[in-house]
Amino acid sequence: MLFLGSLVLFTKPLIAQEKTVTGSVMGEKNLPLRDVTVLVKGTRTATKTDENGSFSIRATEKQTLIITSVNYLRQELFVGSRNNVSVQLVLAQQQMEEVVVVAMDTRKTAKEIPFAVQSVSGKELQESQRENFVNGLQGRVAGLTVNQTGGAAGASSQIVLRGFNSLSLDNSPLFVIDGVIADNSTLNETSNGGSQLGLASDRANRGNDYSNRISDINPNDIESVTVLKGPEATALYGSQASSGAIIITTKKAKMNGKVAVSYDNAFRVQELTRLPKVMSVFSGGTNGIPQDVFSAFGPGYTGKDTLYNNLDNFFRTGFSQTHNLAVEYGKKNASWRFSGSAFDQKAAIPTNDFKRYNFRISNTTKIGKYIDISPSLSYINSVNDKPLRGAGGYLLNLLVWPSDNNIRDWKGADGLKKPLFNANPNAELDNPLYNVYKNRSADKTDRFLATFAININPTKWLAVAGRFGYDTYKTDGYTQYDSMSSYLTRAQKGQQDNYYRSYYGYNHTITATAKKTIGNFSGRVMVGNMWQDYETRQFAVVGNNIVDASRSDSNNTNPATRVRLSNALKGLPNYSIRRSAAYFGEAFISWKSAVFLTYSHRFEESSIFPKEFRNYNYPAAGLSIIVSDLVPAIKNSALNYWKLRGSLASTARSSQPYANQSVFNPTIGSGGGFAYGFNNNNPLLQPETQETFELGTELRFKNSRYSIDATYYNTKNTSLIVEGFRASYGTGFVLNTLNVGANQNQGVELALNLDLVRGEKFTWSSRLNFNKMWNKVLELPANVPEFYQSDTWTYANARGGLVLNGATTTITAYGYKRNTAGQLLISATTGLPVLDNNFRVRGDRNPDFTLGFVNNMSYKNFRFSFLWDLKVGGDIFNATERYLTTLGRSYRTIDRESPRVINGIIEDGLENTGTPTKNNISITPAVNQAYYTTMPEEEFIQKDVNWLRLRDMTLNYNFTGEFVKNLKVVKSLGAFITVNDLVMITNYYGADPQVNGNTAGSRGVGGFGFDYGNVGTPVSVNVGFRANF
Amino acid sequence: MIAISCYSCSKKIDEAYANPNAPVKVPVEELLPQITSAMAGNYGGHGTMNDIRYIGAYVQNWQFFQPLSNYDQMGYTNSAGDVGQSTWRMHYYDIGQNNVRLIEWATEEKKWDYVGVGKAIFAWSWLTLTDYYGDVILKEAFRTEQITFKFDPQDEVYSYVRQLCFEALENLNKTGDGVSQANLAKGDLYFYNGNTTKWKKFVYGIMARYHNHLSNKATYNKDSVIYYSNLSITSNADNAMVSFAASAIGATNNFFGPLRGNLVGSGITAPTAIRQGAFIANLLNGTNSEFAGVTDPRAWYILRGNTNGTIKGVEPNKGQTIIPVADRPENFWGVSQNPSATNTAPANDLNCRFIFRNNAPFPIMTASEIQFIKAEAAFRKGEKAIALAAYKEGIVQSFGLLTGTYNVNIPAGKAITDPLLANYMSNPSVVPTSADNLTLTKIMLQKYIAMFGYGILETWSDMRRYHYSDKDAQTGLQVYRDFIVPSGGDLFPDNATKLVYKVRPRFNSEFVWNIKELERIGATSLDYHTQEMWFSKP
Repeated sequence: MLFLGSLVLFTKPLIAQEKTVTGSVMGEKNLPLRDVTVLVKGTRTATKTDENGSFSIRATEKQTLIITSVNYLRQELFVGSRNNVSVQLVLAQQQMEEVVVVAMDTRKTAKEIPFAVQSVSGKELQESQRENFVNGLQGRVAGLTVNQTGGAAGASSQIVLRGFNSLSLDNSPLFVIDGVIADNSTLNETSNGGSQLGLASDRANRGNDYSNRISDINPNDIESVTVLKGPEATALYGSQASSGAIIITTKKAKMNGKVAVSYDNAFRVQELTRLPKVMSVFSGGTNGIPQDVFSAFGPGYTGKDTLYNNLDNFFRTGFSQTHNLAVEYGKKNASWRFSGSAFDQKAAIPTNDFKRYNFRISNTTKIGKYIDISPSLSYINSVNDKPLRGAGGYLLNLLVWPSDNNIRDWKGADGLKKPLFNANPNAELDNPLYNVYKNRSADKTDRFLATFAININPTKWLAVAGRFGYDTYKTDGYTQYDSMSSYLTRAQKGQQDNYYRSYYGYNHTITATAKKTIGNFSGRVMVGNMWQDYETRQFAVVGNNIVDASRSDSNNTNPATRVRLSNALKGLPNYSIRRSAAYFGEAFISWKSAVFLTYSHRFEESSIFPKEFRNYNYPAAGLSIIVSDLVPAIKNSALNYWKLRGSLASTARSSQPYANQSVFNPTIGSGGGFAYGFNNNNPLLQPETQETFELGTELRFKNSRYSIDATYYNTKNTSLIVEGFRASYGTGFVLNTLNVGANQNQGVELALNLDLVRGEKFTWSSRLNFNKMWNKVLELPANVPEFYQSDTWTYANARGGLVLNGATTTITAYGYKRNTAGQLLISATTGLPVLDNNFRVRGDRNPDFTLGFVNNMSYKNFRFSFLWDLKVGGDIFNATERYLTTLGRSYRTIDRESPRVINGIIEDGLENTGTPTKNNISITPAVNQAYYTTMPEEEFIQKDVNWLRLRDMTLNYNFTGEFVKNLKVVKSLGAFITVNDLVMITNYYGADPQVNGNTAGSRGVGGFGFDYGNVGTPVSVNVGFRANF
Repeated sequence: MIAISCYSCSKKIDEAYANPNAPVKVPVEELLPQITSAMAGNYGGHGTMNDIRYIGAYVQNWQFFQPLSNYDQMGYTNSAGDVGQSTWRMHYYDIGQNNVRLIEWATEEKKWDYVGVGKAIFAWSWLTLTDYYGDVILKEAFRTEQITFKFDPQDEVYSYVRQLCFEALENLNKTGDGVSQANLAKGDLYFYNGNTTKWKKFVYGIMARYHNHLSNKATYNKDSVIYYSNLSITSNADNAMVSFAASAIGATNNFFGPLRGNLVGSGITAPTAIRQGAFIANLLNGTNSEFAGVTDPRAWYILRGNTNGTIKGVEPNKGQTIIPVADRPENFWGVSQNPSATNTAPANDLNCRFIFRNNAPFPIMTASEIQFIKAEAAFRKGEKAIALAAYKEGIVQSFGLLTGTYNVNIPAGKAITDPLLANYMSNPSVVPTSADNLTLTKIMLQKYIAMFGYGILETWSDMRRYHYSDKDAQTGLQVYRDFIVPSGGDLFPDNATKLVYKVRPRFNSEFVWNIKELERIGATSLDYHTQEMWFSKP
């Protein structure tokens, strides 16, 4: 009463000088809190924080701000000389109801969740200025790994949660937007002879790249991202979320009767600074004798030779701009939000351009007392012009291009490819500039994503919710090889490779939840149903004899040379259709709001399998105990919160559609007809089985200023589906798809939240995400000594192969032969090492651990945040370096003129005796280039590659004072500078250890850790401003 | 509400199951063409023809043009190239599941003629397979969910062949339902054109072979051999032949024709650049002691001449270079080897004969083979008159096959005429005047001649029954008279002086992916191929 009275009394403060105080309010885990009331003490001046947790209020130096929010302890803040404040609210323990959006677009209190859950705010992702928001997640979530394909614009990113479970199937998590499943596929180029959705040219996901489709999402529409890494995802989303789920919640407008407009932009310059090192000391030749060849084993250049810096002559400074606009309007029962984004990038690689436009409109309407609905519609348009990568790309040629030739001089007088040495242009490497200008590739995508949510709450104890989503896109893409390219023969006269892909995905989830509390117990039962219907159609055609190089359509070739996917015979596209129905239930009971037990069960029916075993089901259970509530004495110590939790789940993972149906191919022999193809698509194929459990604890200290969250997980996968492996012809086929093999993933994740400094002027909070994984192949068929994903066999004799009892992430390769003492064996005739030309495990790509270190600081009007990403351990096959070595351009070949004796033992029959013969054969590589050219792949598998990267660094400044005040309509104005990937400290001797030899379209473990012809991550500097109106 | 929200889900799910991109089921009429063509050499180049390029050197039908080939030496090549391993693939893959489905679906559709044909082909291919490899995967065959496979002993495969023959006959005898000659002809166009009577004769022929192969056993039943021979193919019109459309598409042409160019392999581990062997040449040019001085008119139909206009052959493991250039036989495409070896395929088959033309049909079983099977059994039974009659008929049918089917591109003046045939038949060293003078040697050598080129796998079975050099107790002479078994440096080192009796299981199928089972049956030992099989043992 007294408090209210004082409000009335002091409505008009006198004397003191008013100023604008801006600030931001953070809640648990440093997530911004919206709708927090900020009141000037003793006045009626009040405001609420926006979705970024920001506020702006007028106050004098001598006043105090009172910050209140439901569930949080009230906090008071003396204004003083500050113009900018940052506040972290502490949960009110008594009535803590911190909520997290989890599966099925439902919100659960953090206390009851029996598994690790981590969220990243949309703001954080937006500030990272990554157009593919997935790349912004790296380092921000423990147990989440993003393997980028490379530094090109529009490149795909492989996302993995808690390691690789499946050897042959997709390991990427499920993406869910506002409770609706959205497609994140990356085009897989492999068509298996035209029978699947690949390219008609049937490639191996190495030479080109296609965006992973979730990158279509506008980062500016994201309110928050919650990562479900373990059992919870599988329990409720089922088999497709067996590798986890990424739950995206979009921004919604407030129903506060106001119009809010926000605009921000970013202008970015990008420089490729991480390139493989090449030396330009020797001219073309063989064994020291000059020749007109690319292989640089000729004599050294002399002062008379003009040498060019071809690397500099090739790349350009990338430039891009982004403009984001959002308009919100809400009244009592309805709100609207419109957003638009335009992104236009010219990347550092010539011709590599990427444009994207996003539009989205969303609405929330309350109908009557019990119902609210939220429809939304997004439209995305993107165009990506891409240079080719890997073995067919520009980079390898650029690196080995003779230094005494200017790459800019690539055109002959006729405007065509100008070969250096060979009369036949097709027989000679493509000049890299010729390559990017004449071997063209582009994708165009149009996507619509519509969601509809309905919530019906007829009584206090019952809630019914429906989430409906329709996702559709068309992507048209092509690759064109010029008629003179070395990737073709002269007879082919160019190649035009087109695909026309369309996707139609519908899914809905309907749930009904009832809850009841009796005494100390409260319970909740949820039942639900999910229907999913996804269809992808693809036409693909490849042909030769290009009619007009300026065209890119599929009619641009000689019809007689065209090859299409199998269904084209019938005038139809190839299809991939996947439908499933699921019923699930979850029962939950809690005692004294301190012990929480959840059990869920899901029944699935999937079109992937034949009727006999189309239905399968699996359970999940979890327990959460808030020890600090059970034993109140704990709270008197520094420890104010202690949670123990454990959960377990089993699930199934289904194969690709049709993997269990052998198909007939037309035969061209006498009488025609059909015969089975090579593939035993075994009709008895079963889903893979995944069993996982996790144990965890969360401790918070000093009124939650410091907290630690630790998790151990263990996932065992059995009856793994292995596709396309050879076995005895006893099956009646050559290649087989069978349930064989098992593996295990274990890991430890630690998340530390540190509210380091909470001063009046200066605040600093940090988050550390630690991740360590182990994986092991537990079973492989005895007749499969090595299983490998063939896409990863990118160059020479190294590939992503795995063996029994080894890790899932190993590299198998050819190597050196050694005696029983482990010494190199040397050939008595050549003096060179004897090679072991067998694929053996010679590396493991799995890092020892990774650590993400997120920091947020504020000082007056400045906010400063940065993310360090540390990776320790993990091996890389540096195929680029091997290529450069075999062509005499690697620095390791610079000391070729000094004779040497390779330290080893002569293979003379005595090598394994007590008196082996030490090698004494002298070699001078300059005249014996085999020293370099026969070095085995083992030599180029670099062990224990570490990196420390400054991923993102952002400095924000909020304008306050007279300047903003005079701008009338502007509520707030800020400017920022964000630098991406500025610092990388690594022991890797290649360009950038963040590499992937394949695209995210490759399945299984994929090609991360294979470095071949890819550029590293560029350094980007973004500047822009934000304004709210 | 939740329960009814997806009323039609199960139906929609079921609709989405089947692969819409490629057929998972095709009409049985569309399956049969590839299956029958695989018996010879299919679109992919697999079938018995592929392998007889090598096995022909074991039986000395032909030899490699250069010395020291693995097969002239009765050795083998066990490597990723799968040399001489097409029969394994033909049986398990090319015929394999396609035929399993054919039988399954034809049964569903009550097309009993197709069921019978499918079983007949399986009876033939199981017998061919086991005679080639010995122990093979039988009981676990075609299990799509397995990754390793147990081998079964040969006697079990033989029993199964017999069972399949009876099942084939049972179905081929059925009428009504979906049985129709016109419909069978759709799939059978390039074999028997829908004639189930001929298919039955083929099945009886398999039974005759089956019983004949067991001649060394106490259980050998001569009467069964004669019985089934009488029911089997008796005239060349009923011969089991794979024919070829021979269109512009290479795969529709004969595997041995110059268009497909499969006789050019010039490495000693894959020696397919072959020349006629000295043994066959000598049988036909009057050099062989058994037919001394008799010029066989069939020589110019099945063999090649040389610059001197004579018929000469290449000795095993010696190559053609030791032969004077004018005596070196042309290769089977009629390309002269004077003065030096030429393996390249000619542009057309205008100078090609016999089974070496692009459109030449390839015999799987012929009337003359059946007559010789009968002659041997009757002879062993002591029914000499029956044996002689069958022997003579075998020769006549052999001539008939050549004049009827392969009367193409015969050099001027070399064509077989009735007087020539009569002259040959009246020569007592060929056809004894008295049945008592008939010998096993004559029967087996005439069978050898009649089966030249196409019947190599059966010839090999015959020679293995006689252990290449067994002597005829009656005459004291080697049954295969003048046949010189390789020895010393002419024999493959791994053989350890023993002769070849089988082929090791396919490298890329079994050695790489089923090695444990090979170890169990001893197939990893270097001389596995010299171990005698069950069928020829007592």
